[in-house]
Amino acid sequence: MSDAPVVLVVEDDAEMRTFARIALAAYGYLAIEAKTAAEGIRLATKHRPDIVLLDLGLPDADGSEVTRHIRKWSDVPILIISARGSESAKVKALDEGANDYMTKPFGAAEMMARIRVALRNSAQSRSEPVGIVKIGEDVRVDLPRHCVTVRGEEVHLTPIEFKLLATLIERAGMVLTHRDLLEAVWGPGHEDETQYLRVYMTHLRHKLERKPARPKYLMTEAGIGYRLRLESQ
Amino acid sequence: MPTSDRYTRIGKAVRTVGRYAAGAFVVAASTLTGWFVFGASDLADVVMVVLLGVVVVSMRFGYGPSLLAAVLSAIAFEFFFLPPYFSLAIANLHYIVTFGVMLTIAFVISHLTHRLREQVEKARRAGIVAQTEQQRSALLSSVSHDLRTPLAVITGATSTMLSPQAPQDEGARRALLETAYREARRLDRLVRNLLEMATLEAGQLKIRKEPQPLEEVIGSALDHLDERLRGRDVDVRIPEDLPLVPFDFVLVEQVLINLVENVAKYTPPESPVDLSAFASDREVTVEIADRGPGVPEDERERVFEKFYRVRDGEGGGVGLGLTICRAIVSAHGGRIWVTERNGGGACLQFTLPLHPEETEAPGG
Repeated sequence: MSDAPVVLVVEDDAEMRTFARIALAAYGYLAIEAKTAAEGIRLATKHRPDIVLLDLGLPDADGSEVTRHIRKWSDVPILIISARGSESAKVKALDEGANDYMTKPFGAAEMMARIRVALRNSAQSRSEPVGIVKIGEDVRVDLPRHCVTVRGEEVHLTPIEFKLLATLIERAGMVLTHRDLLEAVWGPGHEDETQYLRVYMTHLRHKLERKPARPKYLMTEAGIGYRLRLESQ
Repeated sequence: MPTSDRYTRIGKAVRTVGRYAAGAFVVAASTLTGWFVFGASDLADVVMVVLLGVVVVSMRFGYGPSLLAAVLSAIAFEFFFLPPYFSLAIANLHYIVTFGVMLTIAFVISHLTHRLREQVEKARRAGIVAQTEQQRSALLSSVSHDLRTPLAVITGATSTMLSPQAPQDEGARRALLETAYREARRLDRLVRNLLEMATLEAGQLKIRKEPQPLEEVIGSALDHLDERLRGRDVDVRIPEDLPLVPFDFVLVEQVLINLVENVAKYTPPESPVDLSAFASDREVTVEIADRGPGVPEDERERVFEKFYRVRDGEGGGVGLGLTICRAIVSAHGGRIWVTERNGGGACLQFTLPLHPEETEAPGG
């Protein structure tokens, strides 16, 4: 039990906390709970959790404020929990450095999948280099050689397309906001040009996906950004 | 907008003057007709013809013009038909009485017609109020029924699991939990639709239009429905050269989700869904076609009404999906409608303008 990953759940609703606690325990995690933003920040400092589940609708502070606070001194993965229809609040928290989000209502399986991806990513960011990445059965990306093959055939990507793909691979499984991608690929000062991003993403889908209009890997997160799935679901 | 305000005021004034002018014109016409009758028949016939003019004016142009018509026709009658002719002078006392009676009758006619119009209008409005009241209570009972059913299932299933008599058999326990889960998901969809409708009606909808490829939003909507579309052939046809379309991603995704979800609800499992899009100079048309039972011709407009369902209880929704679609599409300046598909099935189409700034109403 002592080496079970510690999950800090910051959520004001008691029933949601109960659900999270039981589900987390069933999957071998240890949950510590905070009811308010202030308590959350305090417990995050004290217990150094492996991951934080942060509700956006806390009574005492905005979720993005909590994120900003924690990010001052910690890279702990932060998973946002929010209601539907609050895209701008989610984007704000993600741009403050939260790693991913889940929309209520969600099941235990989805929660665990997100936690696993976030934990894996944070472990990866400590041990950087990756050589060849497989996306599903069809796509192989050789990062050092800038070479992409789809079903054994080499596919030519423009430098921007490749950079976009590489950025997505770096944070595979997690959401990247439009801003994240625009900044990483086009550089600062282009954060509002989502139109370009959409067009390039469409090109990339046409080159990599079997059915670009029903993508399995290059997923869109409405109003927020994109997510690369390494395995089809 | 101050300018458009001024235009409506000017427009209103012009229409008012127009109604008075039309009233005067009718009086002139009835007087002229009276002139032809005059001589050939009795003066009483002339009176009838001239008064008929007043009736026409009060029925067509309202109270004010009809009062004017009453005065004008009495004067015209006196001028043309009472000796001395072509003069406002009156030859003898008898004719003064005739003139007075004429004027009075003209006033009474315009007044009575005005009252009648008012009554009719009032009755019509009362009818509408009664109808909407009735609709509202029908809607309320339908919505509360739709919300209570899943709640009842969830309460029943979970309380059974909690009770001392909870089934011991693993299969039965699982079945109970699965029903509760399914109904909770359904409740989520219902509540989401109701909330969305409330937002749309409150006018709180903020549209963030950005030019973008249609393919992406279609892909995203279909991904949301992946589970519900299992076992169906989903065919998407989008021309490679389709231009970028300005729209709000989140909202149009909702339109597509609602439309494709309807196909999943109302057509047999395993029957196909076909999505396609094509562009003209001014707009892009998106088409969602199925091979289901289709929508009866006389209901093709009604299906967009709030809480309307072709067959009650079917599909498990509250009848808001298409209403939401129409609100979102109209907010984009597009249209949405349903037709019959060639070879059977329903075909839902909606348009999104390619150059919305040109089609938007001034000041809108």
